Amino acid sequence: MTTSPNSYADKAAEVAARATPERLVVRVRALSDRAIAWLFIAPTIVLLLAINIFPLFWAIYLSFTNFRANRPNAEVKHVGLDNYTRVLNDPDIWVSMQTTAHFVFWTILLQTLIGFALAYLIDRKFRGHAFWTTLILIPMMLSPAVVGNFWRFLYEPQIGLFAYAVSFLTGIPTSEIQMLGSVNLAPWAIIIVDTWMWTPYVMLICLAGLRSIPDYIYEAAEVDRASNWRQFWSITVPMALPFIMLAVLFRGIENFKMFDMVNLLTGGGPGSTTEVASITLKRDAFEAWATGRSSAFAIVLFVAVFGLANIYVKALNRVKQR
Amino acid sequence: MADVTLKGMTKSFGKGGAKRAVDGIDLHIADGEFVVLLGPTGAGKTTTLRLIAGIETPDAGTVSIGGRPMAGLAPASRDVAFVFQQYSLYPHLTVYENLAFPLRSPARRMDAATIDARVREVAKMVRIDHKLESRSTRLSGGEMQRVAIGRALVRRPSIYLMDEPLSSLDAKLRGELRLELKRIQKDLGATLLYVTHDQIEAMTMADRIGILAEGRLVQIGTPREIYADPANLHVAARLGQPHINLLPAGLLPGVEMPPGTKTIGARTEHIAIAREEGGNARIDWIEHLGDQNHLHIKLGEQKLVTLADPDMAVAPGDPISLSLKNPLYFGRDGQRLV
Repeated sequence: MTTSPNSYADKAAEVAARATPERLVVRVRALSDRAIAWLFIAPTIVLLLAINIFPLFWAIYLSFTNFRANRPNAEVKHVGLDNYTRVLNDPDIWVSMQTTAHFVFWTILLQTLIGFALAYLIDRKFRGHAFWTTLILIPMMLSPAVVGNFWRFLYEPQIGLFAYAVSFLTGIPTSEIQMLGSVNLAPWAIIIVDTWMWTPYVMLICLAGLRSIPDYIYEAAEVDRASNWRQFWSITVPMALPFIMLAVLFRGIENFKMFDMVNLLTGGGPGSTTEVASITLKRDAFEAWATGRSSAFAIVLFVAVFGLANIYVKALNRVKQR
Repeated sequence: MADVTLKGMTKSFGKGGAKRAVDGIDLHIADGEFVVLLGPTGAGKTTTLRLIAGIETPDAGTVSIGGRPMAGLAPASRDVAFVFQQYSLYPHLTVYENLAFPLRSPARRMDAATIDARVREVAKMVRIDHKLESRSTRLSGGEMQRVAIGRALVRRPSIYLMDEPLSSLDAKLRGELRLELKRIQKDLGATLLYVTHDQIEAMTMADRIGILAEGRLVQIGTPREIYADPANLHVAARLGQPHINLLPAGLLPGVEMPPGTKTIGARTEHIAIAREEGGNARIDWIEHLGDQNHLHIKLGEQKLVTLADPDMAVAPGDPISLSLKNPLYFGRDGQRLV
């Protein structure tokens, strides 16, 4: 058998190990790379298990029972798939899903279009573009609670700036601009606020995409007689597409579970016109105290988001690999 | 194809034009000529190409292509093709689509059959026809650069501009593509301006070489002229392997030289050596390259490098006699004295 340099090293290690006192060997072994790695990630894993994974499995368990959180001492019965049947057959829940879909669709469409347009403008690197970038990013840095509260004031028909501005531009009396009170306007009121707050985020991701396109590709296209329009569609859009898709994914997941801002602005009203799924869920769980049924609803939502996101990520990877 | 004329081309960059990249370049490239601009990094080679292509606007001076002044024209209206140093392929497109891209410009109004024929012809020319359906990101460096060159060749522009197209390839591939490029240029009768810092590329491909230094065109001529008859120290130092030896005048007694000589330039062909006890120099070190040897010689305190036959029977430490045959003489200002 030939002796490779590695087996020399192994032999040397063996000799050293035999010469080391037993106590030390144990200590050295305890600090192997693997052990250190586990030591470092253990706190995170414990936290993750405690506040994410355990509640998830607990909710799955509850979704098959008639448990009510306001009656902890009542007997808990297993009800099989009853909760799921009721959730999926409940017309109110389907209406709230529709409301959510409407909200997600329009916020993503508007945020992507405006965000990409802003990124495209900022990428021109005009004088003071860094200043404008910072300015545009401010809404994103605010807390959703703050944003919800001050847009409530802005939307006030009597004293709000929004109603005043719209009335000034269109001549419609301010008393008719009931952004949060009108059945027709309220869904758009929350779409406007969400777009105002999160377009900068989409812009930032798109900007990263645009900045990643090297100048010489545009120069080559210019020499190849491609018009600006053709350069935009055959270079800018395809090369920025993975970034745009990533932004859409992040915003999609976020808005699917949108709660805080809607709760502050309209609380789901007027009527249930802005009652997105998360609001229905909260009402079911903490107002009707139907813990089992709301758990089932939460699991349905989770599976829906998780499934859609996975399909989407597959598509995203395919685009990236081109 | 067409001829290209530069007159007083000047371009500065930086705050208030602090850095003058190109400084009053006059150059005429004849129809069908292969001109190589040779110079170190920062000499203004790339800027000159970009000025001709219209990617940069000159501060002063004019470009005319085929007798037509180009002032104020966008790159698209100049009818030039550009090969960039980086593989500037459209990454989401296939090789075929990359090659067809310049032909699909609406300004050309070319029908699909003609485009297809042209793409396939050029793909064969640059030997990439077996990969037409591959995505451009899936190619090796050499293949990418062949596509980039092919994308320039599918068009029949007035002039091809190439910015160090081979510099990022390995030595073997560089050698192969160098030959191919020269062959293609000859076959097409193309006017080609080629920028490089590689003297071998310049010597092997060029009809004429232009030596650039600090934004100025120092000398232009055939490779032979530039090598044998350099205008100054800078040009002499650009060409030749091993590098030209620069000796202070008066190092070797009894050499006849023009008045005012400060430096003597001696390449291998200017140096005669012979093994001789008590000679004026000695072998310091020998590098064996296989087909030839580099002799490092010490002449007093001065070091010289020259080529020698691998069979030459010398060893480090051997005394030799060294004399010069028709070396190059340079004056105090670095200009050549004849």
